[in-house]
Amino acid sequence: MSPYSASDYRDQLLQTLVLAGLASLWEVSSRAGWVHPFLLPPLSDVLVRLFTDMQSGAVFVDLGLTLYRALTGFMIAAMLAVPLGLLMARRRGVQWFFDPLISIGFPMPKIAFVPIFILWFDIYDTSKVIMITFSCFFPIVTATYSGTSQIDKWPLWSARSLGATESQLLREIILPLASPAILTGLQIALPVGMITTIVTEMLMGGSGVGGAMIAAGRFADSVGVFAGIIEIAILGMVVIRGLDWLRARMLVWHPENRSY
Amino acid sequence: MTADFGIKIEGVSHAYSSGQGQRAAGTLALKQTDLVIHNHEFHALLGPSGCGKSTLLYLIGGFIPVQTGSISTQKGPVTAPGPDRSIVFQNFALFPWKTVLENVMYGLQKKGLPDAECRDIAQAHIKLVQLSGFEQAYPSQLSGGMQQRAAIARTLAVDPDILLMDEPFGALDAQTRRVMQEELRMIWKRRPKTVVFVTHDVHEAVFLADRISIMSARPGRIEHQIETGLGLERDESTLTDRRFVELGEQIWRLVREQAVLASRGGL
Repeated sequence: MSPYSASDYRDQLLQTLVLAGLASLWEVSSRAGWVHPFLLPPLSDVLVRLFTDMQSGAVFVDLGLTLYRALTGFMIAAMLAVPLGLLMARRRGVQWFFDPLISIGFPMPKIAFVPIFILWFDIYDTSKVIMITFSCFFPIVTATYSGTSQIDKWPLWSARSLGATESQLLREIILPLASPAILTGLQIALPVGMITTIVTEMLMGGSGVGGAMIAAGRFADSVGVFAGIIEIAILGMVVIRGLDWLRARMLVWHPENRSY
Repeated sequence: MTADFGIKIEGVSHAYSSGQGQRAAGTLALKQTDLVIHNHEFHALLGPSGCGKSTLLYLIGGFIPVQTGSISTQKGPVTAPGPDRSIVFQNFALFPWKTVLENVMYGLQKKGLPDAECRDIAQAHIKLVQLSGFEQAYPSQLSGGMQQRAAIARTLAVDPDILLMDEPFGALDAQTRRVMQEELRMIWKRRPKTVVFVTHDVHEAVFLADRISIMSARPGRIEHQIETGLGLERDESTLTDRRFVELGEQIWRLVREQAVLASRGGL
């Protein structure tokens, strides 16, 4: 992390001002009647709704459910995809078997499987989490596989000549060497997982931010819909910033985190 | 019971397959190579690029399997990599997520030594290569010369019988390279080991080695063997020594012959 200079502060100030300007434009255009308040309710109304829902705790129930579903699916995907990606890069047989499956699955719009998963697993959390796992799995396995395949033989040979066995190699040398690529895969998968969570909640119901938004929409509660948008924006930002922070922590050794 | 040689290479040929998985005729890198390297000898393998000197080194290291012929050390025939034959590469090959200290400790931990002892031995070797004060630095924070010092410390720490060096100073600038050569020779004097040092730099080979094998153009074979006879002490004054200069010229002619052949015969 580089220390902030004066110009960095100025940039941040300007960026904040731009955001504040857009928020004011939103507020004013609705209050002044430039757009119909039903189509774009004033920002202040949305914030008041958010505040009352926070007081009642409804926001936290929805956010908690969404977060729980997203992270559960994401973590199951990581636990399956990282070892598989590593093995694919190191064992020819594993690569031979899975490569065609992943080539077919990766570009496929995973959301198209929703009806199948509803059919198989009903509409409750199991089905949602499986859907999220399914959509997170491909970016992680692909990134892990390609990252592991690109590792040089030199550090591996060094480790072998220092006494590491073939099985120690995978855990102690290959996994850390592949970790930047694996983390990139996770960083790509997490927003995908968040999108899938919201969409499955919208399609299957059962609360969560997506469910609440669809419910608000059905009752023509446009303030509620926009409150949902703001919740998603904040949740997404927090989760993705969290992963960025984790990456910087885990890769302190990597030149990408070197400050000059 | 110990054998009277450090490394014995008998009738070793090696072909790299060209096609994928095909057993089609590949490139012959080594042909019927014989070489005996004495115990505690500093031996340089010199030759034009592509002559198979690195291949020979990797075969000794056990990184690539011996196809024909045999390679044995005091521990018996070579079949796999092991800490009795540790290697230093041109690109250092440090573990970038480990600090200098952790890098040097890695091989010691693989030996199953208690942590405190690993730390002590590692510290001693970091001091030996004059890297004290950088124990907690990551490789990416060090210069090339310092990274290679760390790699040498990591290799020496496991106390191998044989030290394999694959153009270890090839990636360094000229000044750093000179300093590293002097220090390597000094370290070797304090820790005599059988060293196999691959290089294409004639003066580096003459300055460092007790004996030099000059390899032929591909397919590689040992074409000439030359004792440098420059004594144990090597320093700045060695460079102006008459024998050093003469040897340099003599060996340069021999290597040049092979390099010319390589550039003509090479596809």
